[in-house]
Amino acid sequence: MLDWMDGYTRVLLVFAGINVIAAYSFYVPYKTGQVSLGQAGFMAVGAYSSAILTQKFGVPFAVALASGGLIAAVTGVAVGFPALRIKGVYLLLLTLGFSEIISVIALSWDYVGGAQGFRNISFNPWTLEYVAGVIVVLLLLFSRLERSSLGRAMDAIHQNETAAEVMGIDVVRIKLLSFGLGAAIAGLAGGLYAHHATYMDSTTFNVMLSVEILVFVVVGGGSTFWGPLLGAAVLNAIPEILRALRDWLELLPVEWTDFYPINRAYDLLHDFLDFENAKRLIAYGLILMVMMIVRPDGLLTRDGLLRLRLPRWKTRYA
Amino acid sequence: MPDVSSGGICLAIEGLTKRFGGFCALNELDLEVAQGHIHALIGPNGAGKTTFLNLLTGVLSADAGKITFNGQPVDDSRPFRRTVRGIARTFQNIRLFPHLTVLETVMIGEHCRAFPSVWAAFTKAVLQRPFGECSEERQMREHATELLKFLGLADRREARASDLPYGEQRKLEMARALATQPKLLLLDEPAAGMNPRETVELDGVITRIRERGVTIILVEHDMRLVMGISDCVTVLNFGTKIADGPPERIQEDPAVIEAYLGEEVPL
Repeated sequence: MLDWMDGYTRVLLVFAGINVIAAYSFYVPYKTGQVSLGQAGFMAVGAYSSAILTQKFGVPFAVALASGGLIAAVTGVAVGFPALRIKGVYLLLLTLGFSEIISVIALSWDYVGGAQGFRNISFNPWTLEYVAGVIVVLLLLFSRLERSSLGRAMDAIHQNETAAEVMGIDVVRIKLLSFGLGAAIAGLAGGLYAHHATYMDSTTFNVMLSVEILVFVVVGGGSTFWGPLLGAAVLNAIPEILRALRDWLELLPVEWTDFYPINRAYDLLHDFLDFENAKRLIAYGLILMVMMIVRPDGLLTRDGLLRLRLPRWKTRYA
Repeated sequence: MPDVSSGGICLAIEGLTKRFGGFCALNELDLEVAQGHIHALIGPNGAGKTTFLNLLTGVLSADAGKITFNGQPVDDSRPFRRTVRGIARTFQNIRLFPHLTVLETVMIGEHCRAFPSVWAAFTKAVLQRPFGECSEERQMREHATELLKFLGLADRREARASDLPYGEQRKLEMARALATQPKLLLLDEPAAGMNPRETVELDGVITRIRERGVTIILVEHDMRLVMGISDCVTVLNFGTKIADGPPERIQEDPAVIEAYLGEEVPL
């Protein structure tokens, strides 16, 4: 355990890290052009299965976490089959429907607490280390994937599915693989969350969470594997930065601000920096709208990164 | 005419039929393509040429008929399996991967030869060698570079596919198709939108592809190109074959002249 870190920072990093993993769960199917609004549903599958294993069967956390990921992957492949033939808004609706089914099952199944929620899940003190480990493994995996033939085939499917199929790419299997892999990653994120929060109910993994996950990737950029990391990091950091600004504002001597019109401006700014949940969602909505107009491909793009490359590297194979 | 010693039948079509609702796009087509030939397929717009290519590659499924390729019946439903068996094509409306570079685009074609299955590609590329490049990858890059040289695109290999001028995009489509190491290459209007100089260059390119031992089916409207390089021409009209034979004979065939120019009306 990293003892030098205070509890607040730790919790903050854990949730930011889980969001990064969740963003990657969206990124993998997106790499083959599949946009899913059901990633929260796969997180729920991973969270509930791993929590059942640790609580009801006494399975060690690491094994339960991996099994949760595996069960989510199997679910992902099962959902991915009907998802193969449909695209765009229809796929969004299918995945949305799936995550609603999961949430209704969680609500009505008394074995997992039903409406009262799943309580007293064992707390894993090493969550931050697990999260960091998973992210490192994912980064290694994706850096390798991005430069491999399979990664290129995924990009090709995203850009023109018919052409990819006719050029001998097994589109069906690759799409299933990426959907299943994305679901597995979401399952890991869910399992990590459950054993950190120690409580969850049917609303924990709701549609808004799926939307947030999508926003992470849209903001960061979905054409390179650094995008989801950047998007999730930036969007998790913004509330904290605002909070720090507000704390700093409160340190100002009262006599500096306690006269008209500065006091009004101070109050407005102070309220603005109070970044509670409703404001966060409004901000996400606004960010999404602005991004679609200004940078529809996200902050980081593959082409942008190529331009950053050193000339020596660029001409390596010339 | 270039003299080609044909080593047998590459492709045999029997009674191939495709209907879209009540419209019969292709009606009981019989066709034989000899090994090593450039076989042209011509006909007015809507004659069923592109439908025929789509049936051959599995993009569409036929309502009736039999396709025999190299003596084996072709009945796999999935297009990628047909590519693996050696049928590759280019598209009339160019379908490249806009964000991939020229080299990467050609390497997409190599993928099915380098990795027999998705699982092999996953384990080889991702799990076995966490750092560096696997030998398959290096080989693919070498093959792709050689193909780009063959088609005169070598100096454009780091360019994005969508940044290429039109003529070079057509060539890139050919390079990508050749990368799948086809025995039969289907070219869907390769000269469409090309200027006369580019079309002359295309003559040479197609002939050189044939010299690599690839049988070619050429769907084209440019008659100078078709009559200049084809060994055999088949003419379609309203989904039916109206003539079949060497280019000299096709040019004199009354049915063909009628299909293209209309019937002669006595004054």
